[in-house]
Amino acid sequence: MSKKHRKVKNVVVKCAADMFLPFSTTFGLCVILFGSMSPGGGFQGGVIVAAACLLLYLGYGYKTASKAINMEVLGTNEAVGAILYVILALCGIFLGVRFCQNVFFEGGQIGEMLSGGTITYMSYAVGYKVLTGVGFLLLLLLGLLAPDGDSEEETEGADK
Amino acid sequence: MKAKRIVTFVALAVILAAGLYAMIYAFASIPVTYDGSDTDVTALYADPSSYDVSDPDGVADIIVNTNLETTHAVNSVASVVFDYRGYDTMGESFILLTAISGSFVILRINKNKKEEDDDE
Repeated sequence: MSKKHRKVKNVVVKCAADMFLPFSTTFGLCVILFGSMSPGGGFQGGVIVAAACLLLYLGYGYKTASKAINMEVLGTNEAVGAILYVILALCGIFLGVRFCQNVFFEGGQIGEMLSGGTITYMSYAVGYKVLTGVGFLLLLLLGLLAPDGDSEEETEGADK
Repeated sequence: MKAKRIVTFVALAVILAAGLYAMIYAFASIPVTYDGSDTDVTALYADPSSYDVSDPDGVADIIVNTNLETTHAVNSVASVVFDYRGYDTMGESFILLTAISGSFVILRINKNKKEEDDDE
C-alpha cells in the first residue's frame, strides 16, 4: 500500500514538474529581458529561472537533475556574470563619466527594450549571475542534504 | 527591590508619555508631501518624454525629467538600482558570490567526510 501510494504521488509530482518547467523558465527569462523596463529585474528573474532546478529535482530526483545540469559550468559562469557587470560599469569611466553611469543609450527610441544603454546590459549580467549562482547553490544543497531518497527507491526497485 | 520596581514604572510611564506627545505632535503638524494622487501613471509609462509634469506637486517633475536627462532610462527604479547606486548592486551581487563560495567550501568538506565515513 505504501509503495503504491508513493508511486502515485511521484507520478503527480512528475506531471506537475513537466507542466510547470517550461512556463517557469520562460517567465523568468521574460522577467530578466524586461528587467530594466518593468517591475521585476535581473535578480528576481534569475531566482525564478533557478527554481527550475528545484522542479527538476522534485520530478526526477537528484541524479537526473545533476546529470541534466552541469554544476561546474554553473559555478564558473557566476564569476563570468560578475566580471561582465564590472566591465559594463567601468564603461562609464572609460568614456569619461561616472562609474556605473548609463552610456551607449543611442540605440533606439526611449521606451524600447534595448534602448536603455548599459542599464539594460547590467540588468542582464545580474540576472545571469543570479541564475547560475542560485542554481548552483540549490544543486549543492540538494546533493548534500537529500540525495538518499533517489537511491532508496532504486534499491527498492532492484529488490522487486 | 521595591525602589527598583518604582524606578522601572516611572521610566516606562515617562517613555509612554513622551511617545504619546510625539504622536499627537506629529499628527497635528505633519508636513504635506507628495502623495502621487495627481500623477497619471499610465500616461507617464506610455509616453514619458511628452508627459505634462508641470501640474503635480514637484517630485514627479524632478524624478521624470532628471532621469530622462541624465540616464535615458524610462524606469526610475532601474536607473536608481543600476546607475545612481551601481556600487550597491555590485556589492549585493558580490555578497551572493561570497555566500555561495563559502557554502560550497563548507558543504564540500562535509560531503567528503560523509563519503569517508560511508567507506569505513
